[in-house]
Amino acid sequence: MSVVAKATYFWRSAAVGLRHSPFVHFIAVTTIAIALFSAGMARGAARVLDNLLASLGGEVEVTVYLSPEMGEDEVHGMRTRVEEVSAGQVTVVPPDAALTRLRTELGDLGDALAELPENPLPATLELRVPPEKRNPAALQALAKDLRAMPGVSGVDYGEAAVERLTAIARALRFGSLVAFVVVLGATVIIVAATLQLAIYARRGEIEIQKLVGATDRFVKAPFLLEGLLQGLMGAGVALLGLWAFGHVLGPTLGQLFAFLLGPGVGAAWVEPRLALELVGAGCGLGLGGSFVAVGRFLRV
Amino acid sequence: MIQFFHVYKAYPGDPPVLSDINLNVEKGEFVFLTGPSGAGKTTLLKLIFCAEKATKGQILVGGRNIARIRESAVPYLRRNIGVVFQDFKLLPHRTVEDNVSFTLDVLGVPRAEAREKVRRMLKLVGLEHKADSFPLRLSGGEQQRVVIARALVNDPTILLADEPTGNLDPALTVEIMDLLTQVNVRGTTVMVATHDATLLARYQKRTVRLERGEIVSDEDGVKAARRMVAG
Repeated sequence: MSVVAKATYFWRSAAVGLRHSPFVHFIAVTTIAIALFSAGMARGAARVLDNLLASLGGEVEVTVYLSPEMGEDEVHGMRTRVEEVSAGQVTVVPPDAALTRLRTELGDLGDALAELPENPLPATLELRVPPEKRNPAALQALAKDLRAMPGVSGVDYGEAAVERLTAIARALRFGSLVAFVVVLGATVIIVAATLQLAIYARRGEIEIQKLVGATDRFVKAPFLLEGLLQGLMGAGVALLGLWAFGHVLGPTLGQLFAFLLGPGVGAAWVEPRLALELVGAGCGLGLGGSFVAVGRFLRV
Repeated sequence: MIQFFHVYKAYPGDPPVLSDINLNVEKGEFVFLTGPSGAGKTTLLKLIFCAEKATKGQILVGGRNIARIRESAVPYLRRNIGVVFQDFKLLPHRTVEDNVSFTLDVLGVPRAEAREKVRRMLKLVGLEHKADSFPLRLSGGEQQRVVIARALVNDPTILLADEPTGNLDPALTVEIMDLLTQVNVRGTTVMVATHDATLLARYQKRTVRLERGEIVSDEDGVKAARRMVAG
């Protein structure tokens, strides 16, 4: 028995199968392509969302209020300790600077501050949190540590805004995951159904193969190859679509929404890793669909 | 070569298709299976190439008990059995050569070697000039000869034919039966299911008669032919 002869036969048979039922295979390839294109778009959207979160997270600042009795040296000592605890960047805002800033923010009402006998504002430390700590849990823990430090009278970090933002991001991710699973399941079903039509058209051939001594694996192999080829073609079409989207619409979207979404939207939508993942997913969908479809025609 | 020991075949809710079948077919023998429609001839043949499983009893093919054969071993058994059907079962979109080559494709025989074997087999059945034709362009007798070529191209030890001349006129019937006899002379064990009494009289081979799923007679060719003439 020649392995080469068998392999040649499988590929020839798969090519004949694709040629004999072009419409059925066109539907399967299109279905896979739409599913993979959607997955690629979801991945791109997730990246944009990450950029958005990172940029908004960058705005999150923790303000540490110090005791009014603290001298200048003590304030600078506190700055060093806070930098050590948070691993972030700390800016010292002396009481005078804080008062000036408040006067500016109050506008016309700011003149009233001149009537005060003395500056009531304490020195503050403005902490720019590193990216890995820009989430509610880490910020909460950091605030707790800072509050426990001697000389700290209060800590504020816009808790509610951070939690809301993170909840929105979590909901979006979960929603897209559910949608992806549903699309994936639907794709396998559609691919299996269309392949069953193609296999049904060749049931006579399968029957004769079985009668002359073909094993189940031998009968299945060309159909699995057909599924694999469909998956590859579907992935190719999806990648082409993503590339076209990235080149045609990406730059326009990038210009329109750069103020909100950051630079990610204009970046390449087809990266090598994504391309590999989509090709792998396409092969999986094609193989899975044909595996489901061919099983029921083997009993002769 | 083929032995049946108290074999039964029944489908749930129906009377048995085969009852207490005991049969021994020697290597190189030619056996007619005869009887009216529904007597169980086709089922008996199907049991031999494992298209059906016996409900009870033992069947030995080439010394192997196929009543207990694993599903995965069935293809390997079938490679030693050629099967010819009344309705031909040819692939209409493939040429005669490709139809005959189909058996060798399954075995992974290299293309050049397969082509050589197919040409030789088509010569044996007298169709070497039709290698590139499509089955639907051939007469019924020619189509049946293609099926016989497909069944024999792998040199099986057993050839089973289920009403091989059922769709053919008398002249083509003789042509096909002569071919099967020729195959038998070359050493292949041949079992032919038929209800055509003229064939039994003409070829005078061992004849096993089934009625309502039971063997009612098992006679050598001369005796069976005499009975046909007398009856």
